Amino acid sequence: MAQRVVKPKTNLGPGFWPVTALIVVVSIVMVIYIELMPLPIGLEQAGGPAASVDDLFRFLGAVAACIFNIVTIYTVYFAIVFRAPKDGPANSIGVQIHDAPVLEFWWTAIPTILVIILSIYSVKIWADLQNTAGDVLTLEAIGYQFGFQFRYPKLANPTTELHLPIDTPTTIHVTSRDVIHGFWLPEFREKVDMVPGLVNTIRITPNRLGTYRVVCSEFCGVLHGAMAGVVVVQSQQDFAKWFAAQGGAQSTGGGGAAGIPLSSGKVAAGQTLFGQKCSACHSTGPFEQKLVGPGLGKIFNDPAHPKLVNGADPTPENAAKIIHDGYQGDIGTMPSAQVNGLSNPDIANLVAYLASLSKK
Amino acid sequence: MAAVAPGVKTGPYHAVLDHIHPEPTSFIRKYVFSIDHKIIGIQYMITAGLFFIIAGLLAEIIRTQLLSPKGAVVSAATFNAIYSMHGTTMVWFVVIPLLTGAFGNFVMPLQIGARDVAFPWLNLVSYWIFPVAGVLLFSSFLIGAPDAGWTEYPPISLLGPPGTSMWCVAVFLVGISSTLTGINFTVTILKMRAPGMTFTRMPLFVWAQFATSPMLLIATTALNGALGALFLERQFGIPFYAPQHGGSPVLWQHMFWFYSHPAVYIMILPAFGFISEILSTFSRKPVFGYKMIAFSTVAIALLSFAVWAHHMFTSGMVPWLQLPFMIITMFIAIPTGIKIFSWMATLWGGSIRWTTAMLFATGFLITFTFGGLTGFFLAAVPLDYHEHGSYFVVAHLHYVLFGGSMMGLFAAIYYWFPKMSGRMLNETLGKWHFWLVFIGFNGTFIPLHWLGLMGMPRRVAIYDPQYQFWNVVASSFSYIMTFAILLMFINILMSLRNGKKSGPNPWGARTLEWMISSPAPYYNFKKIPAVLATPYDFGNPLPYLGLDAAPGATEATPTHTSHPVPTY
Repeated sequence: MAQRVVKPKTNLGPGFWPVTALIVVVSIVMVIYIELMPLPIGLEQAGGPAASVDDLFRFLGAVAACIFNIVTIYTVYFAIVFRAPKDGPANSIGVQIHDAPVLEFWWTAIPTILVIILSIYSVKIWADLQNTAGDVLTLEAIGYQFGFQFRYPKLANPTTELHLPIDTPTTIHVTSRDVIHGFWLPEFREKVDMVPGLVNTIRITPNRLGTYRVVCSEFCGVLHGAMAGVVVVQSQQDFAKWFAAQGGAQSTGGGGAAGIPLSSGKVAAGQTLFGQKCSACHSTGPFEQKLVGPGLGKIFNDPAHPKLVNGADPTPENAAKIIHDGYQGDIGTMPSAQVNGLSNPDIANLVAYLASLSKK
Repeated sequence: MAAVAPGVKTGPYHAVLDHIHPEPTSFIRKYVFSIDHKIIGIQYMITAGLFFIIAGLLAEIIRTQLLSPKGAVVSAATFNAIYSMHGTTMVWFVVIPLLTGAFGNFVMPLQIGARDVAFPWLNLVSYWIFPVAGVLLFSSFLIGAPDAGWTEYPPISLLGPPGTSMWCVAVFLVGISSTLTGINFTVTILKMRAPGMTFTRMPLFVWAQFATSPMLLIATTALNGALGALFLERQFGIPFYAPQHGGSPVLWQHMFWFYSHPAVYIMILPAFGFISEILSTFSRKPVFGYKMIAFSTVAIALLSFAVWAHHMFTSGMVPWLQLPFMIITMFIAIPTGIKIFSWMATLWGGSIRWTTAMLFATGFLITFTFGGLTGFFLAAVPLDYHEHGSYFVVAHLHYVLFGGSMMGLFAAIYYWFPKMSGRMLNETLGKWHFWLVFIGFNGTFIPLHWLGLMGMPRRVAIYDPQYQFWNVVASSFSYIMTFAILLMFINILMSLRNGKKSGPNPWGARTLEWMISSPAPYYNFKKIPAVLATPYDFGNPLPYLGLDAAPGATEATPTHTSHPVPTY
């Protein structure tokens, strides 16, 4: 009689399927919790892109919770059912298997697919963030030890609070005056570092009235923990009122630059100032020799660039006005003289120096 | 019989060896300036252990300070110095030296059947640079310790206290020490494996060291370049990083993370090796998917060089460049997942002995998985914009470095202590150590995720009052963890004197280091054994030919039909 070949039954272990069912149930409960609860815990959404970032958070959270349940619950279960009995033989050994190619294929393939899905989703949110409508309001934030300053267009003086009109796509150009700071708006889920010599940009759209936090997130010195600011999201009318109160109305004429004693500018003093205040971002070469901003060696005499960056004629008065007011536009952002710590005579000296460069 | 060269002694094997390399007899040559890889490994362990105590105490000052929003114990300036020194010490003076210097030195040559590393004198130099660097680092407290975190981003580190320059020198020196170790181990593993030990027969801890050593060699170079530049700029004003002189602060970040991201894997791959060895030994099963684990180790090592800028998503770089770094980072999850699942499958169907080492290895699976998953949240660029620089990062990095590297190290200490000392650690104290660390660790670091998401930045000496509750919870659990680690030190000191004698192979393990007496003899192997197969087949005879009969171990021959039995 031919021997019957009995295929050995794969014994996954007592209670394997009930434990698998438990993993499924626990995972479903956790996914429902993660999708329904306002996560992250205790943090409001004050505007874009908070909602889409939180969606990504919840999606990742759901996937991560399932993976964590699978690993933890199976590990604990194997740990319990496959323990060697206390009174068992000292030389007992486990099942001598080396691999299971089909299983290994799936636990490589499924995570690969998951990673691809998560990458695509993250790239999509990332692209939304990069392509947010901005620029309805453009302003700049400057970090210093240990606080934040904000400069609005047509406002002569920097403010200490960030006021934003609701539902207005806002672009914030960010830099630092001294060391690296972090510009974190937790309620907007946005952050970028304030790096001296570099201008970084974020875009937000506030959609909820209220007062929120600006937090410094890069270590910047002894009082790093105390470095904080506020964002006030206001209605359009309130914002207009606040803006007017800051002197927004009268500075539109650009009268601030009028009192600069251009005729008394000294080239030598200007050269020293340029080394201290300007050379981090500007070379003294031609326009194309850019550091952060364009080279300033030929601004008054450059056939390739007959106008200044703001489109004005290259006269000393117009150059002085740019230094005084600062600049923001498609080639970058420059802080105002106020932020840079330049007095009107300083500006006159700088213009004299720049004029001397252009004559060479 | 082969002709014997004139002047070479014949006769008993050890007599021949004594003629070539006599065992040193003076205390200084034997225990201080030793060239024996086992002594050097133990020297690394003791030195790094002392630094670990200091770093742990600094950590407790940090947690105690954060009990109160206004800062409970020290001034903000002191606090900044303390957390900077905690990070620096743990990364460069505890975890890396323990993983490569201590366990790499002690275990790896034994596992490949070598008598020492390839360059024993270089090994001595590597070790002795390390305590000198440590003394330099801690003496920076005398002149004003560095205060800008272990990352020391310029320009703030350019303005930092004088000790910051000393920090540069100390970390530079320790970098040289790691580079030399990297060279040494790479050559050792390539050239000194016992006959028959092909790459696919190497123990997985050796695979981990084989992946780690070239990383030490390549990555540390970038760090030392960056440190040299920082030192020159601080002391002599040569502008590399300060923007007002034409430098770039972001340059440092690129150089630093080009080292420090591979360093993250330098700090975890050897721990992966421990876990593979320990799970197999105590499940009494072959490691599941040996080749996939070895392959994924190398894959992680290679990928780790292409992800550094994921630390810099908010620093200011071309936006599109964030995408490749994000995607490659996410793909590291795949080889890591292969490892985790393979280890779970190693547990499955085992005959598991729940020793302390096994508890730590299994605890590692859970805590490291958690840390790996939070890494995904940080890799996704849009989420990183929110989480970067917050306590979420602190929680994540402690889950991978403590929940990963340190848990692995604790497992390795309990596993290899008998081979180092010839005595067993106390298992009861060990189990208390495990459970208290497991509870204390999770209790300390889970709340930090929430604090980070709620908006608490890292590296702050004072914080907003709404964060106090979870900080108090975290600090309370951290005291449990510290107490548990104290238990481990007590256990080690007690067991060195009074521990049970272990015998050569207390765990019934099958890798080569367990085939010789404990503590290991000076020559390791009087005769270099030949290797016939992977070490992990518990059902089969031992795959070694020509082993000496170590006390208590029977000589292995192809006809030998039993397998090692635990004797603990």
